[in-house]
Amino acid sequence: MSIAGISELAAELRRIVGPDGVLSAAGEMLVYECDGFVVEKDTPDVVVFPRTTEHVRQIVLLCRRRQVPFVPRGAGTGLAGGSLPVGGGVLIVLTRMREIVEINLRDRYAVVQPGVVNVKLTERLRGTGFHYAPDPSSQGSCTIGGNVATNSGGPHTLKYGVTVNHVLGLEAVMADGTVCEFGGPSEDLPGLDLTGALVGSEGTLVVVTKVWVRLTRDAQSVRTMLGIFESCDDATAAISDIIAAGIIPAALEMMDHGILEALEQAFHFGFPLDAQAILIIEVDGLEAGLDAQRERITAICQAHHAREVRHANGPAERIALWKARKQAFGAVGRISPSYCTQDGVVPRTRLPHMLRKITEITARHGVRAVNVFHAGDGNLHPIVLFDEKNADEMRRALDASNEILDECLACGGSVSGEHGIGIEKIDFMPKMFTADDLDAMSRLRQAFNSEGLLSPKKMLPTAGACSAERSHPGRRAAV
Amino acid sequence: MLAIASADDVIELVHTARDTDAALYPEGGATALDYGLPARKPGYSVELAGLNQVIDYPWRDMTITVEAGITMQSLAAILAEQRQRLPIDAPFAEQATLGGLIATNYSGARRFGFGTLRDYVIGISAVDGNAKLFKGGGRVVKNVAGYDMCKLLVGSLGTLGIITQVTLKVRPLPEASALLVARPVNLAAAEKLLAALNTSLATPVAVELLYGNQFGDEWRFIVGFEGSAAEVAWQIETLQAEWPREALAEELAVIDQLEQQPGAWQELTDFSLPAGDVPLVVKFSVRPSQVCTLLDKLRTFDDQAAFQAHAGNGIVIAQFRQIPAVGACKFLLQQLQPAAHACGGYAHVWSAATADDFTRPAWWGGVRGEMVYMERVKQQFDPQRLLNPGRFIYEND
Repeated sequence: MSIAGISELAAELRRIVGPDGVLSAAGEMLVYECDGFVVEKDTPDVVVFPRTTEHVRQIVLLCRRRQVPFVPRGAGTGLAGGSLPVGGGVLIVLTRMREIVEINLRDRYAVVQPGVVNVKLTERLRGTGFHYAPDPSSQGSCTIGGNVATNSGGPHTLKYGVTVNHVLGLEAVMADGTVCEFGGPSEDLPGLDLTGALVGSEGTLVVVTKVWVRLTRDAQSVRTMLGIFESCDDATAAISDIIAAGIIPAALEMMDHGILEALEQAFHFGFPLDAQAILIIEVDGLEAGLDAQRERITAICQAHHAREVRHANGPAERIALWKARKQAFGAVGRISPSYCTQDGVVPRTRLPHMLRKITEITARHGVRAVNVFHAGDGNLHPIVLFDEKNADEMRRALDASNEILDECLACGGSVSGEHGIGIEKIDFMPKMFTADDLDAMSRLRQAFNSEGLLSPKKMLPTAGACSAERSHPGRRAAV
Repeated sequence: MLAIASADDVIELVHTARDTDAALYPEGGATALDYGLPARKPGYSVELAGLNQVIDYPWRDMTITVEAGITMQSLAAILAEQRQRLPIDAPFAEQATLGGLIATNYSGARRFGFGTLRDYVIGISAVDGNAKLFKGGGRVVKNVAGYDMCKLLVGSLGTLGIITQVTLKVRPLPEASALLVARPVNLAAAEKLLAALNTSLATPVAVELLYGNQFGDEWRFIVGFEGSAAEVAWQIETLQAEWPREALAEELAVIDQLEQQPGAWQELTDFSLPAGDVPLVVKFSVRPSQVCTLLDKLRTFDDQAAFQAHAGNGIVIAQFRQIPAVGACKFLLQQLQPAAHACGGYAHVWSAATADDFTRPAWWGGVRGEMVYMERVKQQFDPQRLLNPGRFIYEND
């Protein structure tokens, strides 16, 4: 867009949201040139911060009138480039729409604006006996609107389900500027479950302006354990056996030796540095059933040669353990200047195989990977380490990452468990889906976003949406 | 009637239908044929019960991939061999197919604790009105690659695609199961019990409020528990201590499911099956806090009606036996739907003895804003309107 065109657009946007709600100077755009996926960058022409649904509606109408692409964005913690403004356009940042509109405990729902930070809802609900279940590791900064867009997971989704299992309804501004409500606080409304189809649509179908979320009763009690293993094989075999035994832990996370090393350097938590893998296993529910579950899990770990199964003593120790887990990605900076992370999923019984393959693949490419992941779901997050000053090493790190994803598909898995496709994994979509599968998805997009102005060139490898040539892999990422 | 043996058969059939402009009416176990407006366009019913193979059951992963025509009873038997289940209550399980349940988004008492089919379908394949076989999701329990076509097809009444194959997430069978039966003194007392349950430490898997049929002229409150024996026992004890006595007309009774086969759970599942001639069955979706208010109102319309409320979820199934002289269609438009709206929700018909005179808004509830997008989705997946035409919510059918 021409400089004159941009300043004209910015002026019109200022008339909608006020003078403090628009950024358009080149220097101000840098913050918005990518999200948590930093491999590919593209600057928006203008960034706008609506405060109301009416603002969003007018912004969309304006973009449509001027035929300018527009992309919604939350806190920018996404890891697949879902909020990247490919080819420029207007970036609609929803972080100023951060009101918790209603909490209704009797009917077990809350209504929030999309810019509400995930943990803020949890904080508001503290003491009520209810909580909002999805808890991505970035919950301290990510927004619920962003969670809806990517259908976010988190460690506790193993038992409680991902975002879509907790969204009852949406208000959205459609690509043509109309405002529409989908679903709502009453369940099972007659007709198609469009709410379900819109969750996880990565901002390519609608701009969400309000969310009805389900509230979940707090568990009466919780037991948190730390299983310490001499080998990754033993740890992953134990995971598979816990699930096969019909136990559904609230969370079941694995960290390997490399991650433990990084965490110890950063936090001095007291993880055993000579262990090859540890499992964080949490069961929650009724006090009456928990000790029995803990004993069964302990026995399964021991059957797989666990050196030790420690029990967290009290809430403080549990919180520290989870803090360590959720900051694991940040700690990787201690052991490597750069890294990229993947988000593949395999059937849980294939975890032992997959962990061995990751070691083999990275060794073959002459790079190293460390692992911290949602083991109970089979959702891997191998973190491939490299130095971005070394172009050859970067290329090898990327190749290794891609080969890992190919192996996930070969195991009958998926290329994304919770981060989304965005622009990062567009090239994998034809590997996972047939042309007819992708065509069906394109037709769904057509029903909502027929002009293609909303989040163009995302998620589907349709015509004109070839992903940008990757120059180098990401430097930082966090789940 | 055309019988199907493979997904390729379905593709071929849709091609033929496209060429001849014949409608296709997909059919599973034929247990819910009266769900939806009557078919008017000539065409074929597509018999899918032959599409019933297990494709893969990696039980240690707690997932299963099956063809959609498998009956719920066969599915349950296969899963039970590994002490697993799909916790969706299905009546006529020996006949009803998984695909049929998915198409109608059927659910029963256990939905309070376990959710509905949308929470269990993790992969799906279907043939759309363009004769294209497409799939969504996959075979792993966590997956955000692409749009969630599973959600789109659950409850779509076969109007976007004929479902051929499904991958499910399954659950372990519980060790113990029991039901607590209470008789509230009246509906106001029932709401007190419901509100108390909402903040109880107990975590029931079913919260049912029933009236009529085998329960006679008394309200019954049935709370179901599943889990380890210790958990179930503790919860029953807790609820017995917690519940306000003055709200109860008599002492609580406990039914230990394991000792009383085939059991009370089955009774709950079968309660809503029209016993004899029920001229009108309506499903209400309202806010959970409004269930008793709604039931109170519905009783004034027909004191012979029987009710099953999945009260914890705000779902009420009402079997009306006395239809006002204005007829069922106007009864819905003038009384039942306004009653549902007043409780924050909607009403739609499950079955009606004389369905021919129904209008679409009467059957499926009033027009909501999102309807225009349902139409657009339909247009994309079935532009020739071959799949179950005229029966579902679309105005343009």
